[in-house]
Amino acid sequence: MAAPDIEKPRYKYIGADRKRVEDPRLLVGRGGFIADLKMQGLLHAAILRSPAPHARIVSIDTSEALQIPGVVAVLTGEDVKAHMNPCMNFGPPTIAQYPIAVDKVRYVGEAVAAVVAESRYTAEDGVEALVAEFEDLPVVTDPRKALEPESALLHDDHGSNLGYERTFEFGDISRALSDADLVVEDTLHWGRSAGMPMETSGATARPGLNGVLEIHCNSLNFSYLQFLVANALKIPSNKLTMQPVPAGGSFGSKFTAHKVPTLAGFLALRTGRPVSYVEDRLDHLMNSDHHGSDRYYEAKMGVTADGMITGLDIDVVDDYGAYLQFGVGTHGNAFSQAVGPYTFRDLKYRLRAALTNKCQQGAYRGFGSEVHNWVLERMVDKAAAELGLEPEEIRRRNFIQQDQFPYKIPGGNIYDSGNYPAVLDKALGMIDLEYWRTEQQRLREQEGRYIGIGLATTQERSVFSSTEFWFWFDEPAFPITSSPESATITIDPTGQFQLQLHCQSMWGNSPETVSTTVVAEEFGVEPESVNVSYADTAHALPGTGPGGSRYTVMVAGAVRGAGRKLKKKLIDIAAHTLEVAAEDLELVDARVQVKGAPEKSLGLPELAASAYFFALNLPPSMESGLEESYTYDHPYTTLPSPDRTDLGVFYPIVGHACHIAVLEVDPDTGQTAFHDYVAVHDAGTVVNPKSLDGHVTGGAAQGLGSTLYEELAYDADGQFTSSTFMDYLVPTANEVPPFRIGHVETPSPYTEYGIKGGGEGGRLVTPSVVSAAIDDALREYGMRVRELPVKPADIVEAVQGAMARS
Amino acid sequence: MKPPKFMYCDPDTVEDAVALKARYGHDSVVLAGGQSLMPLLNMRLANPDVVIDINRVTDLQRITRDGEVLQIGAGVRQSVLETEPLVADLVPLLGQVAPYIGHVENRHRGTVGGSLAHADSAAELPCAAVTLDATMVVQGPAGTRTIAAGDFFQGLMTSALDPDELVIAVRLPVTTRTAGTAFVEVARREGDFALAAAAAVVELAADGRFASLSVGVAGIAATPVRATAVEQALTGQPATAATIAAAAKEIAGQVTSADDMHATSAYRKHLAVTVVKRALGAAVATAQERSDGS
Repeated sequence: MAAPDIEKPRYKYIGADRKRVEDPRLLVGRGGFIADLKMQGLLHAAILRSPAPHARIVSIDTSEALQIPGVVAVLTGEDVKAHMNPCMNFGPPTIAQYPIAVDKVRYVGEAVAAVVAESRYTAEDGVEALVAEFEDLPVVTDPRKALEPESALLHDDHGSNLGYERTFEFGDISRALSDADLVVEDTLHWGRSAGMPMETSGATARPGLNGVLEIHCNSLNFSYLQFLVANALKIPSNKLTMQPVPAGGSFGSKFTAHKVPTLAGFLALRTGRPVSYVEDRLDHLMNSDHHGSDRYYEAKMGVTADGMITGLDIDVVDDYGAYLQFGVGTHGNAFSQAVGPYTFRDLKYRLRAALTNKCQQGAYRGFGSEVHNWVLERMVDKAAAELGLEPEEIRRRNFIQQDQFPYKIPGGNIYDSGNYPAVLDKALGMIDLEYWRTEQQRLREQEGRYIGIGLATTQERSVFSSTEFWFWFDEPAFPITSSPESATITIDPTGQFQLQLHCQSMWGNSPETVSTTVVAEEFGVEPESVNVSYADTAHALPGTGPGGSRYTVMVAGAVRGAGRKLKKKLIDIAAHTLEVAAEDLELVDARVQVKGAPEKSLGLPELAASAYFFALNLPPSMESGLEESYTYDHPYTTLPSPDRTDLGVFYPIVGHACHIAVLEVDPDTGQTAFHDYVAVHDAGTVVNPKSLDGHVTGGAAQGLGSTLYEELAYDADGQFTSSTFMDYLVPTANEVPPFRIGHVETPSPYTEYGIKGGGEGGRLVTPSVVSAAIDDALREYGMRVRELPVKPADIVEAVQGAMARS
Repeated sequence: MKPPKFMYCDPDTVEDAVALKARYGHDSVVLAGGQSLMPLLNMRLANPDVVIDINRVTDLQRITRDGEVLQIGAGVRQSVLETEPLVADLVPLLGQVAPYIGHVENRHRGTVGGSLAHADSAAELPCAAVTLDATMVVQGPAGTRTIAAGDFFQGLMTSALDPDELVIAVRLPVTTRTAGTAFVEVARREGDFALAAAAAVVELAADGRFASLSVGVAGIAATPVRATAVEQALTGQPATAATIAAAAKEIAGQVTSADDMHATSAYRKHLAVTVVKRALGAAVATAQERSDGS
């Protein structure tokens, strides 16, 4: 069955495979990153990091450090306590956090003191000269033991290491499991990894004119949340301007990353001089705002004899580390697509968020939905294996069908549109599974080699609504419902385009390619001719920033909205000038022309000249100039019900993907090698295949990292053992296979042009498909991937254990 | 990640380099390719008063044949081992080992002497040196002396080099034409240090039995080790997959590395046996090819 042709409007620029407009400046080293920013009199900070996982700070002797020539100041938790409020925090207020530890340290790497000096070298000399005395406290590393009453407490004010607990049940899970012909159960652990951008988080803060503190930083989302940084610094929000600086990669790690800019701002305020603090790799690995999920699951899935899923029962303990800055939003994310692409209606989800002596969790590509998808797909694979169904068959039987959209899932979120069989069929059409299944048998029998075939799917929720951050709480402190994005288009007096975006959205994605493509589509100018800039927080219109695969959809809405307003003005000017009714005019290829008589037209330069310089030629009462702004609100979100039996619509723009991998496993070394890998994604209308392919490839590479290589590991004593790239293993081009990518386009009915987000899908499915392929390769040894990353040692020990038992 | 203050010297000659080493001894480090030293400096795990940069000492960058010995200067870049015909011709194992040292970018900077002096037990060149019965040539204030590879590597990142001495060269016996050589490594990623690696040089008698063999293993103990029990078990035995598989198990007893985040001890033992088995198998195959071809 071939994928049906999907009808969609033809666009000239949207959907064209074009080079990114960001690349020329990046390729010649003119990216303008935070470390490139020089200022007169700039000081540099370095941080003393806690060597202890849990300890009371007894004393910090700064005298020797302060005697080093070039050391300007040393700031400690005492200074922070005296002059700051706690940092921004979306978790319980009883779990307070400061950018420098106050009274006690709660994980290895937490900041203990900041040394500010004339150079980073001298600052690090100063750090070395500090003498800090700690009184060790009992260490909490196992998140399940952390919840036992006798465990030592991380936060006395909170009274427990249970940061948060809630159970949601939609439908009737007991009935669903008891009605099932088969219930599969498993214990699964998703280990901690994180986005590892080439550039770490950094900020340069400067006390500016009129008592305004300027913080230049590569963190995201500060047009949305700047006032929270001002609050931490105890200054009025209009006395803080956050200047956007492009980020050299993020993958979540710069999403609202607040500790670095807040600290830089604090150091500038205390010293009265500009201060730069850029994390080095050690800082970033052990103390970034954004270690990823670290979850322990007990999962049950019911299925009927013919493979229909009846329900899913999840009991998850999430090891959030020492702080709970985003609350449990990473589980809200999982809820947006808790049933995957499947039709089952009964779901129970018990969450306990544990506090331990580890770095806090934050955002990593997928924001927790990738973990849930791995668990869901692990359970589907287990059911399929026990029922003797091929992985594609059990999925096909359970898919939500095309005529069911928009589809409301248990819990309340909506899936806008989709064609899951078409995605599966396209993937199956790109790889000859029959060949590989025969080859698998031949290699096993004739050459003693083990190859496995994995197939998995994912939903890719995109365009979050901010309700996902608080529907967990019955009485949320700040039940925000806005998550808009804005754009300003200016046509200058010569007809050239300026486009201003109202958040720092450049974090390794393609915000300028996307937004200039929309300008091109609307006005018929080339994308490369449009100049893009970013507003600082003193000037920004409402903007939320990228995250949750929202930016392409949202900025397209904002730019198109601004474009419509500007087009109307151009047509009104032309109508007045040409003495033609406005409804008889159209804008085609950068000219306003009479419908059916294109020779009667005005170009943008002529119209712009009128708008700026010839007020007497304008229609009466029209303002001079050609600039329009538009704020695009979330296209479709609803409130959760007060009793939370329905969480509302909070992530309704939902794509889909199917990956198939053929992987060889060496049972004597545990090493793996790919023979083939296909990835088919449906992200609605594709804006630019090249940049979407980049997203899929990068996401899948990171998924592979979380599956086989990357681990932010703490030992039983709470020591951090992944402190350099010798131990935190990011896969390189040698480990990542070429992904063969295909697209299906099912437009969203709710967004401009039908675009869906596509930034995270790769990472949402690779862990499932690689786990499945490893299991399949070593099926005769009873291999079952239950913990990520799955290391060579795990594979060999499973094989050896099975051989010893047989 | 900025180094503490140090004095920097860049001598032009071996004599000047040795004089600096003699003068500053323990308080100095030698900078060759810098692939291990620079991270140590930047992370302040090394805190020397003096850094002696030997990159200008061109006398250390030569490869020469001296009768039945190939002498490689300490300053020769590791990537040269992959491309230099003299190396491929006289000591082919080096060319097989070199591609596993880090990535090509590392090998363009990293030096032969630097890797040997650093004495990482999971590194490839120390393993090759032990396997090939290499001899280190070192020079200090009292002149030059030679140290057999087996005596040179003494413990975790520890060698027999005195603080006032400099590694000048490594001397390697020319491999016989009929020998088979092979290197097998398992690492988490390409370019990482070995979880376990084995180098093998074998000579087969006319009847297909092992006439002699030498097997070195990296990554399993505080130093690279010779698999002496394996060698003894196989000498004089038929070079078959079965005898190799049986004898390779002997290496497990030499695995002393503790569990770490990349490998448990049990896994490392299994891996050591696996790489020894595979290296011997591959070396035997090349020996058979070479004798068939001659």
